[in-house]
Amino acid sequence: MITRRDLIKHGALGAGLVGLPQMALATAPHGLDAMLLDTRFVADLPEGYADVPVLRFAGDVTSVWVDQLDRRWRQPGHVLGGITGSDALFVLEVLAVQHGRRVVSRTPLGDARGDGITAVSWIIAPHHPSVIV
Amino acid sequence: MSVLPPDLDAAGFAPFLADLRGAVGPDWVWSADDDLFPYRDSFSPVWNTGEERHASAAVAPADVEQVQAVIRIARRHRVPLHPVSTGKNFGYGGPSPNVHGSAVLDLKRMDRVLALDGKRNFVLVEPGVSYFDLYRAIQDAGLRLMVDCPDPGWGSPVGNSLERGVGYTMPHFRDHFGAHCGMEVVLPDGEVMRTGMGAMPGADTWQEYPYGFGPDPAGLFAQGNFGVVTKMGFRLLPLPEYYRSCMITVPRRRDFVALVEHVNYLSDSGLVGEVEYGSPLSVLMGNADFLALATQVGGPSDAAMDAAAAAANLHSWRVELQFLGPEATTLANWHHARDRILGAIPGAQGFEGDHFPLPATEAQLNNDTQPWTTSIKRRRSLGVPSLGAWKIVRDDGHVGFFPVLPRSGEAVFQVQRVLGDAMKEFPSLPPFFNALTMPLFWHTHTFQMVFAPSIKHDDPAHNAITHAAMKKCVAVAAEHGWGDYRAAPIYQDEVSATYSFNNHILRRFHEQLKDAIDPDGIIAPGRGGVWPRRFRA
Repeated sequence: MITRRDLIKHGALGAGLVGLPQMALATAPHGLDAMLLDTRFVADLPEGYADVPVLRFAGDVTSVWVDQLDRRWRQPGHVLGGITGSDALFVLEVLAVQHGRRVVSRTPLGDARGDGITAVSWIIAPHHPSVIV
Repeated sequence: MSVLPPDLDAAGFAPFLADLRGAVGPDWVWSADDDLFPYRDSFSPVWNTGEERHASAAVAPADVEQVQAVIRIARRHRVPLHPVSTGKNFGYGGPSPNVHGSAVLDLKRMDRVLALDGKRNFVLVEPGVSYFDLYRAIQDAGLRLMVDCPDPGWGSPVGNSLERGVGYTMPHFRDHFGAHCGMEVVLPDGEVMRTGMGAMPGADTWQEYPYGFGPDPAGLFAQGNFGVVTKMGFRLLPLPEYYRSCMITVPRRRDFVALVEHVNYLSDSGLVGEVEYGSPLSVLMGNADFLALATQVGGPSDAAMDAAAAAANLHSWRVELQFLGPEATTLANWHHARDRILGAIPGAQGFEGDHFPLPATEAQLNNDTQPWTTSIKRRRSLGVPSLGAWKIVRDDGHVGFFPVLPRSGEAVFQVQRVLGDAMKEFPSLPPFFNALTMPLFWHTHTFQMVFAPSIKHDDPAHNAITHAAMKKCVAVAAEHGWGDYRAAPIYQDEVSATYSFNNHILRRFHEQLKDAIDPDGIIAPGRGGVWPRRFRA
């Protein structure tokens, strides 16, 4: 489990934002539109860390995909940040690519667990012209 | 890294790309390394080696007319196309092509559900429709239909069925190609063809009778390279009224033979849905002595395994049964199964598990109230697409060898011994084949047993072991008549070569067809082990 101190130590989301391309910033001048937390690794964000809706799941992306991202990613825009396991990020990245989006930043947060899964902070932003506002 | 199509230099490649852009629009053609990264096989055991096969470009048409245009352009420039629906064929090559330098024909933009009938129980979809999309379309329309979906469910019915993928509900729906009914195909010359009743103008039965009249070529397009499928119909199961799960255990190792025969009867009679075989003894695999017994060369004796089971006070085998239908008939079918098996196998025991009306609630889909540790994945058993399968993927992915096996207990024991011994050459891999390895009853009438060693992007030595083990598995299995049913492009020639009856007449027949309709190999040359004359030379 990642603590609030770990988040600050790794500069998790801040480090990610450095890599955000200009086109993504242009579509989301205030940064992220939502945050995704994998509760296997992090239960919550420090207060005020990201003033956006926070979605939570525990390793299985299904409900987040069905209830939120599937519909949202059919529309232009939407910059999503996350702290998840590397396995969940793989799933999200494949889905993102199919919907014209890219992982524009990824920062491993520490070493892999015994099962080989690493916590990663990342940002997925629109990339294809069809989804850039 | 710049990749070019075969027989084409950079000067020839540029006009090919320009023609594609003219046909589908500049935003839907890609040739830069970053853009092509998603078209690599991220589960490849030859990742970053000279054997990995890369695309030179990708193009995403929006409709059938654009597919025709792309094929005609490729034909003019003699560039092989590798069609993918959603490119999620992980473990079997993903979206990567057979021929280095092919252009991926990405059909993801063709994502319409064209017809959905809740009274006649069928659907007609384009290739870019995922199982999630189809499930949502059924829910949005308020129809009581069940989708038989693979796990995970992010692929497409068209792509999965053309790979002869499987699901987890009733027997005749689990075979996804078998459940298809009618297709539209763009042929290598750009012509559009419809199979079955789709060939008759005005027929309203395209999704109700697959054959039409005369020879039915539909099978050529599954794991084949004779055209690009742009529409496909599927039969759908009316949503059953009720779901019931039960379990039967049998005490002795040899009891498995009779257990399989009884379950075969239940399945072939349409009385039971997908079953999950397992062994209560699997909890002992953490014990070094038992592990040594279960993995010993030549396999353990029945007596030794029975003694281990008795010492642990465990039964040797179990089967989880799932019943779908009206509540009363699911109960009657369970009672019939229980009485039949318990009456025939001394010491067998029956257990009743969760049962409830459909559609299931979220809590029921989560499957955490079963009174035993279950192997059933409830969502897929009830046709609800899921992404949860990724929690079991280790390292950076895996390859997959799924031989087609006789549906008998004796065959299972033989595979355990033969492939268990063969894979001892690779001691760093998990013992996929051991005395407890269970058959998968996914296809309608056959067993499979899984060999799926992992790959690691940063460990070529590990990947080389996986690669060598896969090849050995294919070869050793074939010596016993066990053929792989589906393979990544890097293994397709080897698998195809094992289907060698009468001096490979099946492959030679396919080659004759390929030479006749696609001699330049525009559509996926090498797919399914079928190469046109141009590439054979």
